[in-house]
Amino acid sequence: MALLSRLALLRVVPSLVAVLLVGGPALASQSAEAPEYQVKAVFLFNFAQFVDWPPVARPDSAPLVIGVLGGDPFGRVLDATVRGEHLGARPFAVLRFARVEDIGACDILFISQSEGSRVEAILAGLGNRAILTVSDINGFATRGGMIHFVTDKHRIRLKINVDAARAARLTISSKLLRLAEIVSTQGR
Amino acid sequence: MVVTALSLVLSLVFSAMLPVCAQQPDSAAQALKAMSIEQLMNLEVISVLGRPERLAQAASAIQVITQEDIRRSGASSLPEALRVATNLQVAQVDSRQWAISARGFNSTTANKLLVLIAGRTVYTPLFSGVFWDAQHVALEDVDRIEVISGPGATLWGANAVNGVINVITKDAGASAGLLVSGGGGTELRGAGTARYGGALGSSARYRIYGTGFARDPTALSSGQDAPDDWHLGQGGVRLDWDVSTASRVTLQGDLYDGRIGQATAGDIAVSGGNVMAKWSRTISATSNLAAQLYYDRTHRIIPGTFGEDLDIYDLDVRHRTRLGTRHDVAWGAGYRLINDWVTNTAALAFLPAHVARQWFTGFVQDEISVAADRVHIALGTKLEHNDYSGFEIQPSARIDWTTGPSGTLWAALSRALRTPSRIDRELFAPGQPPYFLAGGPDFLSEKALVYELGYRYQQGGVSLAVATFYSRYHGLRSLEQANPPAAAPLVIANGQDGESYGAEVAADYRPTGRWRLRAGYTELRIHVWPNPGSTDTTRGATENRTPDRQFLLRSSLDLPAGLRFDTGLRAIGAIANQQVPAYTELSAKLTWQAAAHLGLSVVGQNLLHRRHAEFAAPATRREIERGVYGRVEWRF
Repeated sequence: MALLSRLALLRVVPSLVAVLLVGGPALASQSAEAPEYQVKAVFLFNFAQFVDWPPVARPDSAPLVIGVLGGDPFGRVLDATVRGEHLGARPFAVLRFARVEDIGACDILFISQSEGSRVEAILAGLGNRAILTVSDINGFATRGGMIHFVTDKHRIRLKINVDAARAARLTISSKLLRLAEIVSTQGR
Repeated sequence: MVVTALSLVLSLVFSAMLPVCAQQPDSAAQALKAMSIEQLMNLEVISVLGRPERLAQAASAIQVITQEDIRRSGASSLPEALRVATNLQVAQVDSRQWAISARGFNSTTANKLLVLIAGRTVYTPLFSGVFWDAQHVALEDVDRIEVISGPGATLWGANAVNGVINVITKDAGASAGLLVSGGGGTELRGAGTARYGGALGSSARYRIYGTGFARDPTALSSGQDAPDDWHLGQGGVRLDWDVSTASRVTLQGDLYDGRIGQATAGDIAVSGGNVMAKWSRTISATSNLAAQLYYDRTHRIIPGTFGEDLDIYDLDVRHRTRLGTRHDVAWGAGYRLINDWVTNTAALAFLPAHVARQWFTGFVQDEISVAADRVHIALGTKLEHNDYSGFEIQPSARIDWTTGPSGTLWAALSRALRTPSRIDRELFAPGQPPYFLAGGPDFLSEKALVYELGYRYQQGGVSLAVATFYSRYHGLRSLEQANPPAAAPLVIANGQDGESYGAEVAADYRPTGRWRLRAGYTELRIHVWPNPGSTDTTRGATENRTPDRQFLLRSSLDLPAGLRFDTGLRAIGAIANQQVPAYTELSAKLTWQAAAHLGLSVVGQNLLHRRHAEFAAPATRREIERGVYGRVEWRF
């Protein structure tokens, strides 16, 4: 009986091989596309140049922190994107947070899709802290977040909630706003 | 030889990744950083497609229990955490046993529910139900639990007749650092978890954990302790490795050992473990592939009743691709092999004592977007071959319609099967002839045809979900008289039909940013009747022990000074055919986040009564006692 089971396991190996081979040739045909989160990591890095934070008492060389809240979709690419980069005298740093209570110093916060059901609670937890909130969670900007990555026909679009940014005393450059769809939650 | 096959499969998987390993993500980042925002916005991105279950979930009665929900509920075990889902029926039977089901047909051997933990199917081929005492999970490691009431057979597989519970654990990257938690009290006598997560180079993360608990016995109706105290220890590891930006490997494994007291014949011993390899890769912007392989071993001795050694080997491959602009096609194949050795006793026997059984499965689903993405239709079917009933087909059709900015209307029609398990064909009692009860050599699958209609609404801080259903069952398990009118012996057959209908309502309301209220109400009716020619007299009573209605209310309040206060109320109707009275119970948790790294909490469970019954006939009933425990959690 034991022999039978071993033979049965071996019988499935060829089918796995077939699937892997089918997957193989497709790899070679990749064109000028980029992995989604590689591009999003570069967006996060670029946002630092388009946002003015309110002046605070901190050393000029304090790191500019990009935080990731929840399940990290970037793997190592976000760290690789900002490695060795500076904004003025400020080096970039990437920190990962499991919970909103854990967030200490942070300038840009990417909220992972794993947090989709708790966006309102997270934003409430942040209050009006001067943190640029960014996410690809459905309806992020209309739910009170600042920058929403919308993937449309395989391209990334931005939706920006200017009221949310203003409430946190952040100024987003008109160069960025021109390229984005503006969302307002005022009067809600 | 099994090891050889495993290493062969793994080496194939890894060699297939080699072309991608050569890519340098750092240089890719440099090239992208040289682009302007406009150029980035014009770049075509490769998205990792969502899981093929997306639509099946959109057009179904799904509830999600998040990590935060688990933490705030004060749950100390997986079954307790499942009480958060208002579309489940959850009843504690004794210290180790639970009766958990959706849409009725509940019992300790409830067999119409599919339960997945970290990708493993955990219902036993012995009776198609779950031994909850062998399914411990370190709750800190759970990312979320998806609970679907209603059929999910097309995508998830056999047994998903009335529901699916999918426990998804965190990526190792989401559990970095050291976590130590511990505590104890009156019913949960002591519990502790230690977990450490770290990185291996820049592309791999790992975690290692150990956890254990000791539980007090439940009570007899007289108030005396039933000697069912329970101890369990468990440990495991998980490794997540981003081989490239497009492919990922996960390796994980767990080991556990537990002991539960019995009134007679010595302690119950439960031990086992599992090891799994998962691999996924994004082939292109519109195509991805995932495969997983696992081995799961269970050892169980219930002195005086039976013993079991079970080995499960399971392989699953899924591919998903977009065809044109409207079609999103998912298909997959699976193979499952079990080797089951039962140690028979004077009380009962599984004959033959040892079996090897195989399952071959395949599924295909096409998700079609119409009306400018406002309507999605999913058509699919599962095809399965098992050693008991041969080829089986489980098709479904689902539709969801976005009716406005806040509402979604959905409907589904599904055929789902509960395929035969060892208990239906191979159980004999007592352990030697003459048998009072004998397995049915002709037992085939129980079949259900399920009609569902639901609506979901979300606007601002309010969300509401309503799901209604009608299910028609054919060939439900019956006990037929072998030589009527003699009451015994009995043979297991498919002699009954039945129907169930009802509604599940769930509401979520945030009066303020710091206060959240959630409520769920379920109304459920089940009728089971013998078919012409059947001599069954149970009318489903042996399988269906479910209250007609239940109401659950949960409040989560964030107070100043790092305090959080949570309460959960449940009002559960009577279980008529077991004479279990209706009951109302309350749990509460007060948490103080004393510092960023230190949390203290006090949890009260079943606070309203000194003890109460949730399940089982009076003669064998255990009662669940009020419990209080304290807990400390450090994170470094």
